[in-house]
Amino acid sequence: MMERLRARLRAARDIYEGVFVAPYRSQVHREYLRQRDLFLLLGFADLLGVPNPIAFYTLELYPELIDQFHQWHLRMGMPHAPAGGFRCC
Amino acid sequence: MLSRLAGRRIVFFGGKGGVGKTTLAAAYAVASADRGERTLLVSTDPAHSTGDILQCALDGDARDVVPNLRAIEIDPAQEADRYIADVKRRIAETTSPRLLAEVERQIDIARVTPGAEESALFDRFAQILERDGDDYDRLVFDTAPLGHTLRLLALPEQMHVWMQALIGRRKRVNALGRMWRSVAGAAAGDAGERDAVLDALERRRARFAAARTRLTDTAQTAFVFVVVPERLPILETERAVQALERHGIPVGAVMVNRVLPAEAAGDFMARRRARERAYLERIRTAFGRHEIVYVPLQEADVVGITMLRDLAARAGTGEA
Repeated sequence: MMERLRARLRAARDIYEGVFVAPYRSQVHREYLRQRDLFLLLGFADLLGVPNPIAFYTLELYPELIDQFHQWHLRMGMPHAPAGGFRCC
Repeated sequence: MLSRLAGRRIVFFGGKGGVGKTTLAAAYAVASADRGERTLLVSTDPAHSTGDILQCALDGDARDVVPNLRAIEIDPAQEADRYIADVKRRIAETTSPRLLAEVERQIDIARVTPGAEESALFDRFAQILERDGDDYDRLVFDTAPLGHTLRLLALPEQMHVWMQALIGRRKRVNALGRMWRSVAGAAAGDAGERDAVLDALERRRARFAAARTRLTDTAQTAFVFVVVPERLPILETERAVQALERHGIPVGAVMVNRVLPAEAAGDFMARRRARERAYLERIRTAFGRHEIVYVPLQEADVVGITMLRDLAARAGTGEA
């Protein structure tokens, strides 16, 4: 009895997840990555040739953000970091 | 010398190039130290002459000059190198050795970009305002010629706005990251402890905010303009006073340097004096709201502690 109830509950949760949470989850992920990229752009715009008055001060963030930059260029379909600017591989 | 500014702990000396800012700032600092106030004299002019006047070797760290007086010549190149070395050291901790050479090359490029040294100078300036403000009874800044200095003084406000915007963005990224981890569970990986990026941004913002607060504190801070009774310095100073007031930086006094002393005689001197009288009148009209201190023209170049003491004693004795 308990076993069957538990199985049904599990099935109901899977349906709920599949219908409501999964699309929402990918949206959240996409938005998260978008905001992360935007932050990279604002902090390091000078690397793309856009003047950035605080470039010197954001340089200290470079060690923390190399990994995110690496993920960015992979996501953008570039197997290696584009020439110039932020290097990671 | 500058009796009305006795209560201001942070005093800037500025003016057009060649009017005697460095000399008067040094004389003021020596006089403060002689009164028993722990004084720090800081030169922000990349073309330093403070050490030449005090007759001692100065650099980017505070050096003892006379009892109670220490002095710094901020060296933009040294500050930029220091900062770059620090970034490299931290990068070496987090980057794989394979990439290190490439990453260091990138950082070296940043070192030589236009603006790097100005940023480094400003950072040191803000750091002194933030940190040393409480360790000394008086901070005396000898600034670069006006254009430079107006920019330096306006930077805390502008940089603060930029940092604020970046911090807002970063918080948004972090909030979305938390949201993502809560819906994705283990798939999103670990949250990590604190966000080092946000911490670094907050540190900078705090520094700029502290600099801004001190610069605009009318109870603690004053900007002293040095001018000579000649046409161009007066015109430039009039504009600079307006610019400072726009940025909310309190103007404390105007020092009129190299006023012809009464004993300077002869026809030539008489003609010069007639001309000077018109300029002094103009100075009184333009800057009458502020304390005006007249400093007589000296016989010889002012060099060394003894002559600076003598000058400080004679400041204010010039005819008005």
